[in-house]
Formats: sequence, structure tokens, C-alpha cells
Amino acid sequence: MADLAAPVRVSPLIRFGRWGLLSAGILYGMFHQGRLSRKEAAIREIELKQKAIRDEKLAKEKKLASEREIKELESLAGIKS
Amino acid sequence: MSKLASQGPVLVKKLLAEAQPKFQTFLKYAKVELIPPSPADIPQIRAGIGKIITGARTGAWKQTPVREAWLNTLVTVEVICWFFVGECIGKRHIVGYKV
Repeated sequence: MADLAAPVRVSPLIRFGRWGLLSAGILYGMFHQGRLSRKEAAIREIELKQKAIRDEKLAKEKKLASEREIKELESLAGIKS
Repeated sequence: MSKLASQGPVLVKKLLAEAQPKFQTFLKYAKVELIPPSPADIPQIRAGIGKIITGARTGAWKQTPVREAWLNTLVTVEVICWFFVGECIGKRHIVGYKV
């Protein structure tokens, strides 16, 4: 790497395009990220509320299922309650 | 391990000392090739854009040699790719958005 070529004078149009698109990309990235994270926060809130309702339903179903199982086991083991 | 810890600062100093001239060469090229366009270049930029538009309108682009067209395509693709680099910087995540 003894003699490197002389630096090229890049045309200003190309430099303008590069830097312009770079800053445009940064701005677009920040803008889009903000928009998506706000949407996701709203969805997360709704899911949280649904989770409370869903957990209740699941607990109820589990209780019913376990009671049914206990009855079956009792009938199999011959214990009359 | 103790040898690594004791030699650590010495190695870092050697790395910095060796990187300095290389960094200077990089700066030498960057000052000519990578600087953002100054306001003095605006007329040149307008002329360039005008040339592209008239070239596209008059159909002169059909007369360019394939080699030049290929080079123009490469430069255009590189300039467009900077937009995606900027987007990665803006969203602070390399692949995809982290919500």
C-alpha cells in the first residue's frame, strides 16, 4: 500500500444524494419506529385487559375439569360418595 | 492470563500508534470524497439533476455505452442503499423494528 491513488473528486450530486438519503433514512427510521412502538403499546394494553378475563375463564374451566376427573376416579376406584 | 493483563495497555498503545498514520490516510481521502455538499455546490447539483432529466426526456440514455450504463446503475444502487443504512440507524436495530 505504498502509493495509493489520488483522492477522487466525487461529484456534488452524488454526495448530495448519499448524505441526503442517509439523513432521510435516519428520519424515516425514527419516525416509523415511533409509529410502530405506539401501535404496539396500544395492542399490549388491550391484551393485558383481555389477559385478566382470559385467566378467569381458564381457572374456571380448570376447576370444572379437575372436579370431573375426581368424580371419574372415585367411580373407578369404587368409592361411592 | 496475567501476562495478557499486564501486556494489555502496551498492546493498546501499539495498536493506537500503528493506527494513527492509517487513520491520517483515511482522513486525507475522506476530506475530498466524503464531505457533505456545501451550499456552493448547489448550482452544480441543479445542473446535474437537469442533465439527468433532459437526458431521460430526449432519449439520450439509449445512446450511452453499456459500460457507462452499468457504472451508473452501480452508483445509483449504492446511493439508494444509504437510505436503508440510515433507516437502520434511525430504528436503532439492524434487522427489523424492535417494538
